[in-house]
Amino acid sequence: MINTPKVSRRSFIVGSAAVGGGLALGLRLPPFGPAVVRAADGSPEINVWVVIRPDDTVVIRMARSEMGQGTITGLAQLVAEELECNWSKIVYEYPTPGESVKRKRAWGDFSTGGSRGIRTSHDYVRKGGAAARLMLVQAAANQWNVPVSECSTVNGVITHGPSKRKLSYGKVAEAAARLEAPKDVPLKDPKNWKVIGKAVPRLDTRDKVTGKQVYGFDLKLPGMLNAAIKESPVFGGKVKSYDAARVASMKGVRKVVQVGDTAVAVVADTWWQAKTALDQLPVVWDEGPSAKVQQSNINDMLKAGLDADQAFVGNQEGDAKKALAGAAKKVEAVYAYPWQNHVCMEPMNATARYTADKCEVWVPTQDGEASFAAVLAASGLPADKCEVYKINLGGGFGRRGAFQDYVTQAINIAKQMPGTPVKLLWSREEDMVQGRYHPIMQCKLVGGFDAANNLTGLHMRLSGQSILKEVRPAIVEQQKGRDPLTFQGVADSGEHSFGYNYPNLLIDHAMRQSHVPPGFWRGVNINQNAVFIECFMDELAEAAGKDPVEFRRQFMAKHPRNLAVLNAVADRIGWTRPAPAGVHRGVAQMKAFNSFVAAACELSVKDGNKVKIHRIVAATDPGYAVNPAQIERQVSGSFVYGLSALFMQECTVKGGRIVEENFNTYNSMRIAQMPKVESIIMPTGGAIWGGIGEPTICVAAPAVLNALFQATGKRIRSVPLKNHGFQLV
Amino acid sequence: MATASAVVNVPANPRRGEIIEIKALVRHAMETGFRRTQLGAVIPRDIIRQFVCLYNGVEIFRAELHPSIAANPLLTFTTVATESGTIEFRWTGDKGFSVVESARITVV
Amino acid sequence: MASRRHFLIAAGGLAGGMRLVSASGNAHATPDEMREAVRKVIGSSRVQSGRVKLDLPPLIDNGNSVSLSVAVESPMTPADHVKAIHVFTEKNPLPNVVSVYLGPRAGRANIATRVRIADTQTVTAIAEMSDGSFWSGSMSVVVTLSACLEDGLI
Repeated sequence: MINTPKVSRRSFIVGSAAVGGGLALGLRLPPFGPAVVRAADGSPEINVWVVIRPDDTVVIRMARSEMGQGTITGLAQLVAEELECNWSKIVYEYPTPGESVKRKRAWGDFSTGGSRGIRTSHDYVRKGGAAARLMLVQAAANQWNVPVSECSTVNGVITHGPSKRKLSYGKVAEAAARLEAPKDVPLKDPKNWKVIGKAVPRLDTRDKVTGKQVYGFDLKLPGMLNAAIKESPVFGGKVKSYDAARVASMKGVRKVVQVGDTAVAVVADTWWQAKTALDQLPVVWDEGPSAKVQQSNINDMLKAGLDADQAFVGNQEGDAKKALAGAAKKVEAVYAYPWQNHVCMEPMNATARYTADKCEVWVPTQDGEASFAAVLAASGLPADKCEVYKINLGGGFGRRGAFQDYVTQAINIAKQMPGTPVKLLWSREEDMVQGRYHPIMQCKLVGGFDAANNLTGLHMRLSGQSILKEVRPAIVEQQKGRDPLTFQGVADSGEHSFGYNYPNLLIDHAMRQSHVPPGFWRGVNINQNAVFIECFMDELAEAAGKDPVEFRRQFMAKHPRNLAVLNAVADRIGWTRPAPAGVHRGVAQMKAFNSFVAAACELSVKDGNKVKIHRIVAATDPGYAVNPAQIERQVSGSFVYGLSALFMQECTVKGGRIVEENFNTYNSMRIAQMPKVESIIMPTGGAIWGGIGEPTICVAAPAVLNALFQATGKRIRSVPLKNHGFQLV
Repeated sequence: MATASAVVNVPANPRRGEIIEIKALVRHAMETGFRRTQLGAVIPRDIIRQFVCLYNGVEIFRAELHPSIAANPLLTFTTVATESGTIEFRWTGDKGFSVVESARITVV
Repeated sequence: MASRRHFLIAAGGLAGGMRLVSASGNAHATPDEMREAVRKVIGSSRVQSGRVKLDLPPLIDNGNSVSLSVAVESPMTPADHVKAIHVFTEKNPLPNVVSVYLGPRAGRANIATRVRIADTQTVTAIAEMSDGSFWSGSMSVVVTLSACLEDGLI
C-alpha cells in the first residue's frame, strides 16, 4: 500500500507567475476619461496585445494555448518582430476568457487546434505589435517635439537620429497608452524579418525544466479537496445505483456524489484516498444496448460499407466506375485503421470552485473560450460571474479543445460542495477508456490500368466513422449528411486538397457510426488517408512496373509544392542511389492544414520482424517558418506520436467498452527506438500560411509501411504493426 | 405534478395578485427535419408545434414552436395569481401529438 | 457526368462564405431569410431597438440546448402590454425560433426556454406591443466549435 505522498516540490499554491501570469491580469477599466487600461500591477496597455512595464519588460498577451507545440513562442516572435522590442525582456500572459467576453472578444479566437495557432492569427497579432510600436514612437516624438520620420526603433529603444536622443519603451509607455490607435498599420516585408524565422529559445522551456511550471495536475489551492471519478465504462450507459455508505467512512473521504446521469465520484482530502475509495465503491450500471457491441461487429459493419451502394462523394473527376469497368488490369486492396487514444501524459483534469455568486475553473485547455462556454452551461451563472484560468497543458493533441467533459464534471461536483475548490483528476485508466477516439476506418482502393500499363482510374471507398456527425452535426446537416472532414488530405479543394490528378477519380465515404465517441486526434483524418493512398500508390507503382517516386511524379504536374517536398526527401535520402545492404526505403507525401509534407525512411528488418528505422528525412513547406528550430522539434515530435501509433497503438471494444486501459496494452515508443529525423524546412512564401502541429504526422507511417514492403515482400494493410508481429527496435 | 411525458411547476399557494412563475416541460425529441441518417436519408420533421396554458379555462399564454426549440421543450412564463382553480397545459404537434397536464392552484 | 467540383463552382465558389443549397432547397438560413421572416411578422411597420432584453450565454460549446430568456419593459396593463414576442436566428436552418403570445394577465413580459444554436450568429427578439409598435433586442453568440474548422467548410 503506497503511503499518501508528501506534497511534492512541484505542487505550488497558485501564484500568478507559476500559472503563466494569467491571474495577474486584474483589469482595471477606467469609468471615464482617457481609455488607458491597466494590468494588475498598474502597467499600461499600449493595446490589447502589448503591456509595457516601467522596467521595459514587454508583456505579450496570448489567446492561444501552449501544449508543448511552441505556439506561444511563435506568437511572441510575430509580435516582437513588429514591435521591435528586446526579446530577452519578453514575458507572456493569458487574458482570461471572461475578460475577453467583457471586452467583446478583443483577443479573437482562443482555440488552439487544427494547426491554426500561428497561421490564423499571424496577421492580427503582427498588426498588434506594429500598432504598439507606432504609438510608442509617436509618444517619444511628441516628447521630443520632433517628426516621427526622424525616429527609429531597435531592441525596445527609440532613437531620434539627428539629435541621438534615446528613450526606452518603458519610459514612454504611459504616454503611448493615451494615444489613439493608428488606423493604418503597415507590416514589415518578410525579407526584413529579424526575429521571425530565427530559432530563438522558447519562452516556456526554463520553467518546465526547473519544475517551476505548474500543470493542472499539480495545482493546489487553499482548502482544496480532490476528486476521483468513474463514468459508465460502456459509452451511453447510466448510473443505476451506488452504495455510498460502503466507502463514506474510509480515510479522508468527504463525499460520494453522482455526476450527471453517467458517473460517480468520490471527494476526499487527497486524490489517492478518493481513488482508493472509488475503487471500492459498489456501482450498478445500466449499461444500455451498447454493452453487446464487440470489435468484430464493428469490423464487419465497416467491411460491409466498402461495397455499399450509397456513399457520400468527397472528390471526383471523370467517371471512375466506368474507367475501372473497362480496365485491362485492376489492382485492389483493403486497408484498415483503428481507434486510437490521445494519451496525453497529463490525464484529464479540471479544478472548480462554485458558489451562487461565482464559478471559477482552473484547467489545461486548448480553447479557453470552449472551457468558458462549458462553465456557463454547467454553472447556470451569467458570464460576469464565471471565469476560466488557463494552465499550460501536459499534452493536448486534440483531446482538450472541442471536448470539455472534465470541466463539466468538475463543476457538477463543485456545485455539490459550494465554496470548496475541488480538483478533479482522472486516473490513467479513466483517461484511456473515456477518450474521444481517432475514428475507425477501413478503405477499399481499386486502380485500373489500360493495356499499356497507364493508370486510367482510381476509386477510393472509405467506410467508417464520421467525427463531425457526432461533434458538429450542424455541418453535416448543411452538407446533406456528408462529413467533409473525412476527406482531409484527399479533398477536392481547400487546405487538405489532394496532391494527385488522375484521368478518372472517385473518393467516397460510406458513413458507419458507432457508440464509441470520436474526436480530433492529432492530424484528424489525414493519418488514415495518408496510409490508404500513399501505400496504395506504391501498390499501383509495383503493378505498373515503375519506381514509386517516378510513378507519383506522373500525377503531380499540377501540384508543384507537393512535388517539391517529395523530391526534397527523395533527393536527401539518396533515392536514386543504391541503399546499403539490408536497408530499404519508402516515401509518402500529402498536403494538410495548408502545408506540404513528405517523408522518406530507411529501415532494416532482422529475424523477419524486428524493425530498425535508421533514418527519416522529412520535408515541410508551411509557406512561412516562424521558428525553424521549433518546426524541427514539432516534426520529430509528430513522428514520435505517429510511429508509436503505427507500431503499438489501437483501442478495441469488448462488451461495449474500451479494452486498453494503460500503457501495458497501449504502449508508446522509447528514446532508444526513435530514429534520427533530418528535417528540411522549405517555406515557399505566398498568401497562405500553413500549419505545423499536425500535417507532418501523417507521412511517417506510410513511408515506413512502404519501406517494410521492400524489406519483406509483404503488404501490410492494417495498423498497428504489433498485430503483425513487428517490433520496433 | 407529472405524467411520464410532462412536468409542470406552479407555486401551490400564492397570494392574490402575486405574479407567479410557471414552468412547463414536456418530453419530446423535437426532430428538426434537417437531420440525416448515416446513409443520407432525411429524418422527417416531428416537432411540437403549439403550447397553450389555460387558467380556469382562459388562455393566459400561448407559444408556437419551431425546430430551433431544443429537445424536451421547456417554457417558463408568468401570470398573475387571480383566483383558485386549475391551470391546464396543452401541447400539440406533428403526428397527432397531444399531451394535457394540469395543476391545482390555491390563491390565499 | 458533371463532376461535383463543377456543381460547387456553379453554386458560387469554394472559398469561405459558400452556401450549399440542397436539391430540396433547404439551405441553412441567412440574414436575408431572417429579414424576410421578420417582415412577415411586422408587415410594413418599423422596428425600434430597445425595451427588449434578450439573454443567451455569449459563448456556447454545445449548441444542442442553450438557455434563452427575453424580458420586455412593459407595465403589462390592459392599455399597455406586450402582445407577443418573436425570436429569430440568422444561421439556424430556419429563421423562426418561437413566438409567444402574452397579455395583461402575464403580469410581466418575461419568458425563457431552451433553443438550438447551429453556429456563431446574432439572435434577435421582437416584441409586439398592444399599441401596434414593435421593439427589438439582439445578442451575438459565439459557438466555440465553429472556429475549429477551416473557413468554407460551412
